[in-house]
Amino acid sequence: MPRDLAAVFVGGLIGTALRLSIDAALPHSGGQFPWSTLIINVLGALVLGLLVGMLWKRPGLPHWVRAGLGAGVLGSFTTFSAVMVSVVGMGAADAVGPASVYLVASLVLGLAAAFAGLRLGSTLAHLMMPGEIQEGDTL
Amino acid sequence: MTPLVVIATLLCGAIGAVIRYLVTKALPVVPGHLPRGVLIVNVVGSLVGGLTLGLAERAAVSPEWQFVILSGVCAGLTTFSTWTVETIELAEGGRWRAAVLNIAVTLALGFAVTLGAYLSVR
Repeated sequence: MPRDLAAVFVGGLIGTALRLSIDAALPHSGGQFPWSTLIINVLGALVLGLLVGMLWKRPGLPHWVRAGLGAGVLGSFTTFSAVMVSVVGMGAADAVGPASVYLVASLVLGLAAAFAGLRLGSTLAHLMMPGEIQEGDTL
Repeated sequence: MTPLVVIATLLCGAIGAVIRYLVTKALPVVPGHLPRGVLIVNVVGSLVGGLTLGLAERAAVSPEWQFVILSGVCAGLTTFSTWTVETIELAEGGRWRAAVLNIAVTLALGFAVTLGAYLSVR
């Protein structure tokens, strides 16, 4: 448990640093379309899907690796609160149309990315270590 | 943005991640329930975000604190990737109703608390 928590903490530092870097490269003010958050969340959903599909069911994977990469790096790289704050902020700035587009785009692209990541990840896992995974294993 | 603000934001992001991890460990995903851990951290983080947005509008929070709270505390505590991946896993496991509910409940509560908090303090 202490090792898991340390991994989540370090992963959280890395994920937050990556998110701040993308935010700094694509800055937006309260009422503007938050391209950076959209990119971060879609990319994060894809990568987490990949990891879950490819790595999580690997036999003998240390628990702290999963905690550090999943809950730590990708958990804190992506953000749900920023989506809600941007939607409310854009609405308050009379940009209800862009706010709706942003919300729907985050949801549709995020779910599609998670789905694609999971599928691609489990395909790669089968290619890399055939036989180690039982057919019909759930993710 | 001063180095101190960036360091504080990174630390708050990491602490938020640890709190999120502990909450999801305490409320593991079990059949028959929505993934409550992620739901709770996402709603709480959105609430704090809405409060900060409202207070910022009347300059009751400095831009530095806004950054630390929104990009550190709230963004670290909440997560989008786990929410979407868990939703797809529910659907792929045949639990379509739970998957749809997980999206609907998270969005409805997240939006309601963010808007409510924003309107009540701005």
